[in-house]
Amino acid sequence: MAVVTTGGAGDVRLGRAGKGLRVLVALVGIGLLVNGSVRATDDVWPFGPMSQYAMSVPDDAAITYTRVSALTDAGTTVDVPLNIEGAGVARAEIEARIGEIVKDPSLLQQVADGWAKKHPDKPKYVRLELIRDTTQLVEGRVEGPPKSEVLATWQVRR
Amino acid sequence: MKVVNWFTPAIALARVAWLRTVLYLFVILDMHAFVRDTRLKGEHTGLYQPLFLARLFDLPRPSVTNTTILYVVLIVACLVGATNWFPRIAGWVVAPAFTWWVLIGMSDGKVDHDHLALVVALWVLPTVKPQQKGWRAYGDQSRSEAAGWAVRCVQLSVIATYFLSAVAKLRSAGWVVTWPGSAVLTWAIVRRPHPVGEWLLNHPWMLHVMQWVGFIGELLSPVVLWLKGRWQLLAALFFIGFHVANTAILLIHFLPTVVCWLAFAPLERIVPWFQRRSRSAGDAGQAEDQAEDGGKAKEQAGA
Repeated sequence: MAVVTTGGAGDVRLGRAGKGLRVLVALVGIGLLVNGSVRATDDVWPFGPMSQYAMSVPDDAAITYTRVSALTDAGTTVDVPLNIEGAGVARAEIEARIGEIVKDPSLLQQVADGWAKKHPDKPKYVRLELIRDTTQLVEGRVEGPPKSEVLATWQVRR
Repeated sequence: MKVVNWFTPAIALARVAWLRTVLYLFVILDMHAFVRDTRLKGEHTGLYQPLFLARLFDLPRPSVTNTTILYVVLIVACLVGATNWFPRIAGWVVAPAFTWWVLIGMSDGKVDHDHLALVVALWVLPTVKPQQKGWRAYGDQSRSEAAGWAVRCVQLSVIATYFLSAVAKLRSAGWVVTWPGSAVLTWAIVRRPHPVGEWLLNHPWMLHVMQWVGFIGELLSPVVLWLKGRWQLLAALFFIGFHVANTAILLIHFLPTVVCWLAFAPLERIVPWFQRRSRSAGDAGQAEDQAEDGGKAKEQAGA
C-alpha cells in the first residue's frame, strides 16, 4: 500500500498510491459524517448526528424526568439508583425504552436482579414503579414543583 | 496537489509515538471509567439493541464469554501498543476490538457522541510505520507524511465533533437558528439538578449567553485547522474551557474528545526540550544550538 521514498529534506514521503488511498479514505470519512449529520440517526454510530442536547426546548416546555421507584422488603420506598454501580442500568437506557417498558413491564425485572446481585446485603426490591416527573416552564422559568405519574408497575419475581 | 498535500503534512514520527502511548493508555481508562458497562451487558442482554455496524458485520450478541475475552485482549493489546514495541500489530487489534467494545456499550438505546475522534485515532495510528522502537520513538524527529495523515485525521475528527454538533442543532430545529435562544440548558439542569445549575436556573439570560457562545464556537471550529502557533493554542484552550463549563453545568466531560486535542500539540518537541534543558544545565553556552532547534520545531507546530 505505502510505497515509501525518502525525500530530499529527509522526510519519509508517501508513494502515489499510498497518498491517493489515504486522501480517498479521509474524503469518504468526511462524506459519511456529513451524510450522518444531515440525514441519519444514532443507529449509524460513529457516523450518526452529534445530537446530544441538540434540540431547541421551547420556553413553555413541560420537562419530563423518568425514574424508577422501588418498594423494598424492608417496607421502605426508595428511588432506584439508575447507574452501573446501583442497579446496573443507566437512566438514559430506561428513558430510551419507556414505550417498551410500558408495554412489557417485565423488562423492569432486570433492574431488581441487577440491584440484588450488586447489593446482596441490602433490602430487596419487591415492587417497581416507572414514574415520570413533569416540570412546567413558563416564559423559560421553572414554575412550581414537578407532578408525578406512574407509567408502569412490576411485581418483582423471585 | 496542494489540497491533496493538506491531508498529508510531514510531521515528526515522535508525535505519533506520544499519541500511541497516551491514547492506548486512555483506552484502558475509558473501559473502566466511561464505556464501562460492556461486560455488564454481556450478563444482562435484555436491553441489547444492536446498532447498524453490529448488524452489518453480523457481530455476535454480547455474552459473558465474548465480552470477557474482548476485555482481556484490549488490555493486553493497549499495554503493548503503549510501549511503542510492535505498535502496529497491537494497534490493528485495538482498533476493531475497541470499536466493538464501544458498539456494545452504546447498544441500549443511548448513543454518546464523545468517542468519534478516539475511535478514528485508533484506526489511523497503526497505518503509520515507525522507524524507532520503544522509548527511542518518542524522540524520532524524522518527518513522515503517513504520520501527518494520521494526525490530520484525528484533528479533523475532533473538529467534526464540534462542527457537526452545530449542524445537529440546526437540523433538529428544521434548519433554523432557534437552539441558542431556547430553554435547552434549563431543561438539562432540571433533569440533572446540582448546586451550580440550580443557581443558574434563576438567571436564564446567563444560560442563553452560554448557548450562543457554544453554538458560535462550534460553528466556527473548522477555522482551528488553519490556525497556527499560539492562535491555535488559544482556540484549543477555548474549547477545553467549553468542556470545563459543560462539566460544571451538565456533568458531561467529553474526555475521549478532549484527549484527542493532543493531535494538535507539537508533542515531538518534548524530548528535544528535555535534552536542551539537561544540556544547558551542564553547559550554559549552547544558545546557538537551541535557537536552531527551536526554529525547526516551530515549522512543524502549525501542521
